[in-house]
Amino acid sequence: MNTEDAPRIIIEARRVSKSFGSFQALRDVSATFFEGQVTAIVGPSGSGKSTFLRTLNRLEAQDAGEIIVDGIVLNDDLKHLDAIRREVGMVFQSFNLFSHLTILRNVALAPIRVRKMPRSAAESKALQLLERVGLKSQAAKYPVQLSGGQQQRVAIARALAMDPKVLLFDEPTSALDPEMVNEVLAVMRELAHSGITMLVVTHEMGFAREVADRVIFFDEGVILEDTSPARFFSNPEHERAKAFLSQVRHGY
Amino acid sequence: MDWTRKHPGWAMAGAMVGLLVFLWGMAVPLAAAPAPIGPAAQQFVDGARITVELTLISGSAGVLIGVLAGLGKLSHFWPLRRFCDGYVWLIRGTPLLLQILFVWLAFPEILPEGIELSDFACAAIALSLNVGAYNTECVRAGILAVPHGQIEAARALGLTPLQTFLGVILPQSMRVALPALANNLASLVKDSSLAYAISVVELTMVGYRVQAESYQPIPVFITIAVIYLILTTAFTTLTAALEAQLDVGQKR
Ligand SMILES: Nc1ncnc2c1ncn2[C@@H]1O[C@H](COP(=O)(O)OP(=O)(O)OP(=O)(O)O)[C@@H](O)[C@H]1O
Ligand SMILES: [Mg+2]
Repeated sequence: MNTEDAPRIIIEARRVSKSFGSFQALRDVSATFFEGQVTAIVGPSGSGKSTFLRTLNRLEAQDAGEIIVDGIVLNDDLKHLDAIRREVGMVFQSFNLFSHLTILRNVALAPIRVRKMPRSAAESKALQLLERVGLKSQAAKYPVQLSGGQQQRVAIARALAMDPKVLLFDEPTSALDPEMVNEVLAVMRELAHSGITMLVVTHEMGFAREVADRVIFFDEGVILEDTSPARFFSNPEHERAKAFLSQVRHGY
Repeated sequence: MDWTRKHPGWAMAGAMVGLLVFLWGMAVPLAAAPAPIGPAAQQFVDGARITVELTLISGSAGVLIGVLAGLGKLSHFWPLRRFCDGYVWLIRGTPLLLQILFVWLAFPEILPEGIELSDFACAAIALSLNVGAYNTECVRAGILAVPHGQIEAARALGLTPLQTFLGVILPQSMRVALPALANNLASLVKDSSLAYAISVVELTMVGYRVQAESYQPIPVFITIAVIYLILTTAFTTLTAALEAQLDVGQKR
């Protein structure tokens, strides 16, 4: 990082809790994320990784605690929500491209509707983004005509079209056939180097180790470790993290 | 049908132009036919027009009602949900003829002094409410068929609930609902004949009158049947083409 002055805080979560019925998915989770930082969020299934990510753009509303994104408090105020959804993009495990729209329209939709950008400007911007993820030639096709890896790259372009300051990824490669994982990781690697803030829930330990600036380990709704990739992978503090790592390693 | 699938735009235009040409031009061959058809040609034309007008007006209003009531049935606001349930239950559980008679005879007593409904308007209102109730179920099923991920993606991009509904949910649910809606429209062409009971001079009423004057029911009713067949075929082609058009995202 090229920071001489202190890095700017972009997301602050303070003692966030969330329950589903009697099950507590997040317990008093606090974390601060800085501009330009790439954070890998790892942990066993059901530990609250997705829930945490989804509270950050209010796809899930927390029961208690406070979330502040770029100085804006995340609450039921629609103006705040609107501002935050513009700043925070999200990429889903199952891509969720709009199946009734072409690739180009998928990417251009939000700038046209939300940012009120003229259609021609939005579409030429969409084409640039599609070129960036290597899919300019597919612009006129529909999502079903693309492979999973291609669809996920489109989903990344679609999120980028809103010029977000933060991109949230929820297991972006988990639904992909192995041979398509790398093309998506390559795009994410390029993004990470471009300086955008990224929070990536992932099971790709190689990616976490190589690209992330920071690793957060979730277990049973709490952050058990929050450290550098080097330390996490070579010398995790908690038994649970050690067990998780050895399990992941044996899985491959 | 195959051709319709391949060229939906042309099929739609063709069916529409065909319908118009038929409505304007049918007087010519009918007038050339021998008695009892020839002398009554203009009555057949007028009857067919009333039938088409009833179908188009009630069909459009019925789709609107179906969308609103379909949404109402999915509302979190329980009085609205109950109201829509009650509406569908009432309409589907009673005969259409009774509904038409009710609007014709009871509405004038309910409506404030000074507002008068024509017989045609009464028939259109009753038919709209009727087909609307059947459409409600189709629309509801269509909306439920839209994957939740599509809605989350739209929300994450900052689309408002209304933009999400109009831009994502509605077009995708229509793809599912359209075959059933098309069915209802085709039935409507035929159901509109019940308007004869409140002295709307639509196609069936014309047939009844012409055969009563000429004492020749066979040629008269054959002519009426042929006109109905041409109308239902035109409407079916129209909706099949629309279906194919909406289906583009599903093509491989
Ligand atoms: N909408 C929901 N309703 C009820 N329970 C939920 C809901 N969403 C999540 N949960 C529960 O909350 C817990 C945490 O879920 P979460 O999806 O955050 O886990 P995760 O760490 O992302 O796991 P995975 O690696 O399997 O994606 C799980 O036990 C899950 O069953
Ligand atoms: Mg998850």
